[in-house]
Amino acid sequence: MTEVILEDRSRDMCPICKTDKYLSPNMNFLINPECYHKMCESCVDRIFSLGPAPCPYPGCGKILRKNRFKQQVFDDLQIEREIDIRKKVLSVHNKLQEDFDLISEHNKYLEMIENLVYGISSGDNAHDLEIELAKFEQENKVQILERNMRESERSNDMAKFQDAMERLRQEKLKIERKMELEDEEFTKQQKQELLNKLAHSSLNSDELIQQQMNQALKRKSQRKKILQELQSEMEDKLRTSFSSAKEEAPKTPFTPFKGDRDLHKLYRLLPIPMDIDTLMAGNSDPDSYSDANLTLLAKNKEYLAAGWRLHTAVERVMDETFMGLGCIVDKEKSISIH
Amino acid sequence: MTEAETDTENVPQSKYTKDKKVGEGTYAVVYLGVQKHTKRKIAIKEIKTGLFKDGLDMSALREVKYLQELRHPNVIELVDVFGTSNNLNLVLEFLPCDLEVLIKSKDIMFLAADIKSWLLMTFRGLHHCHRMSILHRDLKPNNLLLAPDGQLKIADFGLARGLGNLNEDLSSNVVTRWYRAPELLFGAKHYTAAIDIWSVGIIFAELMLRIPYLPGKDDVDQLDVTFKALGTPTEQIWPNVSNLPLYNSLRVYPPPSRQELRNRFIAATDKALDLMISMTQLDPSRRCNTSQALLHEYFTELPSPTDPKNLPKNKPNEPTVESNGNTTKRRKVE
Repeated sequence: MTEVILEDRSRDMCPICKTDKYLSPNMNFLINPECYHKMCESCVDRIFSLGPAPCPYPGCGKILRKNRFKQQVFDDLQIEREIDIRKKVLSVHNKLQEDFDLISEHNKYLEMIENLVYGISSGDNAHDLEIELAKFEQENKVQILERNMRESERSNDMAKFQDAMERLRQEKLKIERKMELEDEEFTKQQKQELLNKLAHSSLNSDELIQQQMNQALKRKSQRKKILQELQSEMEDKLRTSFSSAKEEAPKTPFTPFKGDRDLHKLYRLLPIPMDIDTLMAGNSDPDSYSDANLTLLAKNKEYLAAGWRLHTAVERVMDETFMGLGCIVDKEKSISIH
Repeated sequence: MTEAETDTENVPQSKYTKDKKVGEGTYAVVYLGVQKHTKRKIAIKEIKTGLFKDGLDMSALREVKYLQELRHPNVIELVDVFGTSNNLNLVLEFLPCDLEVLIKSKDIMFLAADIKSWLLMTFRGLHHCHRMSILHRDLKPNNLLLAPDGQLKIADFGLARGLGNLNEDLSSNVVTRWYRAPELLFGAKHYTAAIDIWSVGIIFAELMLRIPYLPGKDDVDQLDVTFKALGTPTEQIWPNVSNLPLYNSLRVYPPPSRQELRNRFIAATDKALDLMISMTQLDPSRRCNTSQALLHEYFTELPSPTDPKNLPKNKPNEPTVESNGNTTKRRKVE
């Protein structure tokens, strides 16, 4: 029991200055990848501020530098050490898959890296391997640097692109929010105006309301247009500045209908009044379809509410009338589907 | 050639084998089988007769009637129909999976491109139906089947209906509740193809959320849930709505702002949201149609839709009929 407590305490205590985490909760432990002996921050400051100095652990004596000290991430120092070694090895052997013609060669390369990391960390001939690595670095300095540059450029590009996207989104949100606020203000103002007019004007109330609604509608469509323009403008900007970001074109052009669309109708549709008002007025165009029954249906409010429209109805009837005309059965049969 | 052989060739049921029963509903039993001369796998739907005093079930007739007219890569294929002594058999293309299964299996990840691909195929199939003036009237993930090659196929035309006379009454009691358009909830009898668009819109939302978008507990609750999500319709946004039979005073919810929708569909792009909004317009005359949807920029913006071959698939847990003993070893992919 006491042992456990002791171990616990020693874990929270700097072995150099014996400061306890219990008494100074702000203390941090640092390690140096030369020997992985931990000590507290203030000790590092005290001992290594004046330049390289030997490790204060009894029997260690490795020369350490202050700038190499770092915070310990993993509890297990073995793991911490392996990660440091891996980082070092990867900074030297930094080829990517695209540098190889064959995937098998790339796999071999990865295997070699793993072996190297294991060799250095397990320690049998670690020293030799390290020297070898340093030699390799010396000899291939230029290529390594080149590859590093390329990598950093790429991640830079990506970061920049994401940054720009985020900024664009923010900008759009801001504009939209502003517009929403303005809209609110506008409707409020309009309501007030309407009330005033209703109180003072000689026109009847329906007309006034109609007027007001028209105004609002106009404004809304204008708004929409502006918003759309803004958006396309921004997207254009983004596209031109990052034209390299999307070079990949689809191999086959995208066809939304895959040919299943009647683009060349065999008939020409006469003008059909789209809105109810003209229908209600009853002055039927001599150049349009006149069917008393249909017009009756088109005025039915229940039909209208369910989405029934004269235009679509007539179009369907015409489609069905002409369906199959110009289709030669023998020819169709000879073309297999799928 | 012996007499017996020629004899079997003329009998339609001998062209197919019925191997295994895979499902049973109120009106039909479904068997798996093989078309003998092509070795193609098929499903045979055997319609139960004698349950109804009028003879055959309506939905079977509908299915035969409309599937015969439709032939499209994204609509289930009716291979053959034959009658045996006392029942009717529909021979359909065999489709092992459906979209509902995929939505529910939590270990499958959907990419934005996958959702786009499924939606695109749904629209292509639906466009074909609407072009032939056939309304499906029961679109839901469960009825969107998936072929082994990834193609999505619209199935179950048991509720489908051709648009007949212009003034004909249509039943408003169609479509599974969660996917039912507001005009149907209001009891409209002269609805249009827009009801199918609504269903697809809700399916689109479900694909993104991975849970049902508007799960009403009953028909009244469905109205409440729908309007809570999309706002209560008023005469301004939906002219003449108050003339619909079941329209009455409702709880008024404000329409959702774009920001609210954006928060709900966090992964959706602006274009995706635009398309969904135009599919779930309360006023059916404002809803987009299949052509407009297919031409929507959502389908042309990046990412481009996944090739059907590469879409996520359900990994069958139990061995299906095809794997005759040899289990496929999973290989580690580098």
